[in-house]
Amino acid sequence: MKIDQNEEAVVIVGSGAGGGTLAYELTKKGIPVVVLEAGPYLRNEDYVNNEWEAFNQMAWLDPRTTSGSWRITTDFPNLPTWIVKAVGGTTTHWSGATPRFKEHEFKARSTYGRVEGANLLDWPITKEDLDPYYERAEIAMGSTHTHGRKPLPANNNYKVFANGAERIGYKHYATGPYATNAEEYDGRPASIQDGFNFQGDKNKSKWSTLVREIPRAEDTGLLDLRSDCQVVQITHDASGRADSVLYLDDEGNLHRQAAKLVAVAGNSIETPRLLLMSATAMFPDGLANSSGQVGRNYMRHTTGSVFSRFDKPVRMYRGETMAGVIADESIHNPDRGFVGGYYLETISLGPAFLASFADPGAWGADFAEIMNAYLNTAGLWVIGEDMPQESNRITLNSAVTDKNGLPVPNVNFDDHANDVAMRDHGYQQAEKLYNSVGAVGSHRAPPYPSTHNLGTSRMSARPEDGVVDQWGRTHDIPNLFVSDGSVFTTGAAANPTLTIVALAIRQAEYIADQLKTGGI
Amino acid sequence: MTFPAKYPQLNEMELTDDAHDVLIRLLRVAFPHPDFPDGPYERTATRILNEARESTWFRVALTQGILTLGQLAGGDFRNLDDDAATSVLRRIEATAFFGFIRRTTVLNLYDDPEVWEVLGYEGPSFDKGGYINRGFNDLDWLPEPRIELYDGEPLPDIAPNAVLASTGKSPTGGQQTDTSNQPGSQETVMRKVSK
Ligand SMILES: Cc1cc2nc3c(=O)[nH]c(=O)nc-3n(C[C@H](O)[C@H](O)[C@H](O)COP(=O)(O)OP(=O)(O)OC[C@H]3O[C@@H](n4cnc5c(N)ncnc54)[C@H](O)[C@@H]3O)c2cc1C
Repeated sequence: MKIDQNEEAVVIVGSGAGGGTLAYELTKKGIPVVVLEAGPYLRNEDYVNNEWEAFNQMAWLDPRTTSGSWRITTDFPNLPTWIVKAVGGTTTHWSGATPRFKEHEFKARSTYGRVEGANLLDWPITKEDLDPYYERAEIAMGSTHTHGRKPLPANNNYKVFANGAERIGYKHYATGPYATNAEEYDGRPASIQDGFNFQGDKNKSKWSTLVREIPRAEDTGLLDLRSDCQVVQITHDASGRADSVLYLDDEGNLHRQAAKLVAVAGNSIETPRLLLMSATAMFPDGLANSSGQVGRNYMRHTTGSVFSRFDKPVRMYRGETMAGVIADESIHNPDRGFVGGYYLETISLGPAFLASFADPGAWGADFAEIMNAYLNTAGLWVIGEDMPQESNRITLNSAVTDKNGLPVPNVNFDDHANDVAMRDHGYQQAEKLYNSVGAVGSHRAPPYPSTHNLGTSRMSARPEDGVVDQWGRTHDIPNLFVSDGSVFTTGAAANPTLTIVALAIRQAEYIADQLKTGGI
Repeated sequence: MTFPAKYPQLNEMELTDDAHDVLIRLLRVAFPHPDFPDGPYERTATRILNEARESTWFRVALTQGILTLGQLAGGDFRNLDDDAATSVLRRIEATAFFGFIRRTTVLNLYDDPEVWEVLGYEGPSFDKGGYINRGFNDLDWLPEPRIELYDGEPLPDIAPNAVLASTGKSPTGGQQTDTSNQPGSQETVMRKVSK
C-alpha cells in the first residue's frame, strides 16, 4: 500500500523487534502504517555463510564515538554496538534466547534497595501486567520449551555445557527457551543446524520480524514499508504535538511524511539520537526530554565469554550458535556480592570472530594458543543485569558528523562495581563448570560491542523520572511513542527481545484503542 | 586518493619483495602457528601492502615501521631467531605500524579457508544442508545430557536469605529496613540536567 506523504499517517521508525511487531499488530487491527527503515531490504537468500562478509552486509556501520572506561573505547572506538541496519533490524542477527523477566526484576529499586551510584527505579508495570503478552510473544516467536514447542536437540557445545552444569550442581539447564524451530512451526522449517544463525539464518528457522511480522503486515495490504529511509527529525506543531517526520532516502534526498502518531523504535542508540536531534525552541533539550533522562541510563547487560579447551574435539561451530541456557545464577542472591542475577548461555564463534573478539589487541604465543585450540574449544556467554547509571549516556557529538552531515551519537559507559563483581562471578563459575568436565585451559573474553542496548528512554510512573509512561507513550508529547528496548526501566538478567516484543504487542492494543476513542 | 606529490619516494614506496618478506616473517613471529602453511601468511602480507597503497597514513607508518624493524634488529629483522624477533615486536607493539598490521591480520588471516582447514573449521555449511546430518551432535566423550527443563523443585526468584529493601524482610524472616537516603522505589530526585 502507498500512503501519501501529506496524509497524516501512523509512522513507525525502525522495523526490528519493536517496530516490526508494532507494525504487524496495528495493520492486523486494520490500521494503515508507514514504516521507515534506515537499512536495505535484505532477504534470507541474500545472507552469506561468512562472519565478516555477513557483518559488513548487515551491521549498522555508520560512525559513532565512544568515551568512558569500558574497554570498547580502546578496542572498538567507533563500533560501540553490534546491531543491524536492515529490514527486520537486529532480529535478523540475534540468536534467539527468550527467557521472561522475573517478577522482582520489575521492582529493582524495591528489591535491591539503595545501590550507590545506580539510578534504580521500579517499572510502572508488573510481571502480572505483562504475562499475557509474554504468552502471545512466545507463541508468535515459537519459543522452544513453551506452549508445546519441542526443545532444540543437544549440539556439541551444549553437551559440554550441560554436563559441566550437572557436575557442579546446577539443575536449571536446558537447550532453551530459544525462538528457533526444532520442528516445523508457523510455516517455517526446523533448524538444519548450519551454525550461521548470527549471519541471518538462510533457512528461516529462527524467528525475526523479517520472516514473520513484516511479510504478514504486507499481506494485510496496509503496510507502506520504505527501506533505505532514515528518519533525521521529528517535527511538531505550535501546540507541541508531533506532526511529521523528515527522512533521507538512499540518495540523500530529504522527504517529509505527515504524521498523526509517531512511534520510534530505532534501538537504544538511534532512538535517543533522533529525539535529541529533534530539539526546537519549544523543546530545547530534545523531544520528550523534560526529565533530562533521554539518552541516560544506557544499559548493555553485564556480559563476558569463557572459551575453554579440552584434549578432545568439540566442534562448537556445528549446530545452532546458541542453544543452551543455565538459569541457576539468575536469581537475586546478594550473598554472592552483587545484586541481580545472570544466565549462562552457550555461544559459538568461527575463527574469524574468535580472533577479533577473544582478546582484542592481543598477539603472540598466548593468543595463538587460543586459536590453535579451536577444534577442541567450547564456549559460553555470561549475561546478567547491569545497573542503570545516569552518566552512562548517549549524547550528540557535534564535532563528528556522518556522511549526511548529522552529528553522530557518542556512547559513554563505565561499568558499575556491581557489574564487575557479577562478571567476575560469572567467569569463575564458567571455569568451574568447564574444569569439571576436563578443561585443560580457559580464556576469559571481554564483552563484545553491545548486542543488547537498553534504557535510554526509560519508563516511569512520574514524568520527572523518565521519558515514557507504562504504554511507551512519552510523558511530554501525547502522540509520540517509543517502542523498543530504550523503554526498559531496568535491564533484568534475561535477554531483552521477548520483553521488547511483549511490550510492543501490549502497546499496539493501547494505540489502537486510543486511536479509536480519540485519545491520541 | 590524493598522494603527496612532494614526496615521490613515499608514493612509490619501495615496499616491494623485500618488504613483503619482512612482513611475512613478522606475521610468523607475531601470530605463531607452526601448522599454518605459507599461503595464508603470504596473502595477509599482500593484503597489508594493498591497504597501505590505499592510505597515505598507513603507507607512511609502514615505511617507517619496516625501517625501524631493521634498526632494532641491528641489521635484517629476518635474521633474528624467534625470541629475539618477539622482543623487537614487544618494543614496537604500541606503534601505529604494529597496530595496523595486527588489526589487518586478525581480520584476514583467520578468515582464510586454508587456516580454517588447519584449525578444524569447515566454513560455509548451508549449501551442504547444515550439520543436521553431518555431526552437529557427534561429541561422544561425554554422556548425553538432558535437553528438557528441570522438572524438580522450581527455581526461586530470590534466594531464601535475601533481605528485601521494600519490606526489610527476607523470605525466611530476617529483619533489616531500608534506612538509606536514596530516593524511594517509585521516584528519584535528580539534579537538573542541562544539555
Ligand atoms: C549477535 C546478536 C545476538 C543476539 N541474541 C539475542 C538473544 O539471544 N536474545 C535476545 O533477547 N536478544 C538478542 N539480541 C538482541 C536483539 O537483537 C535486540 O534486543 C533487538 O533486536 C532490539 O530490538 P529493537 O526493536 O530495539 O531494535 P532493532 O531490532 O535493532 O531495530 C531497530 C531498527 O531501526 C532502524 N533504525 C534506527 N534508526 C533509524 C532511523 N533514524 N530511521 C529509520 N530506521 C532506523 C535500524 O536500521 C533497525 O533496523 C542479539 C543481538 C545480536 C547482535
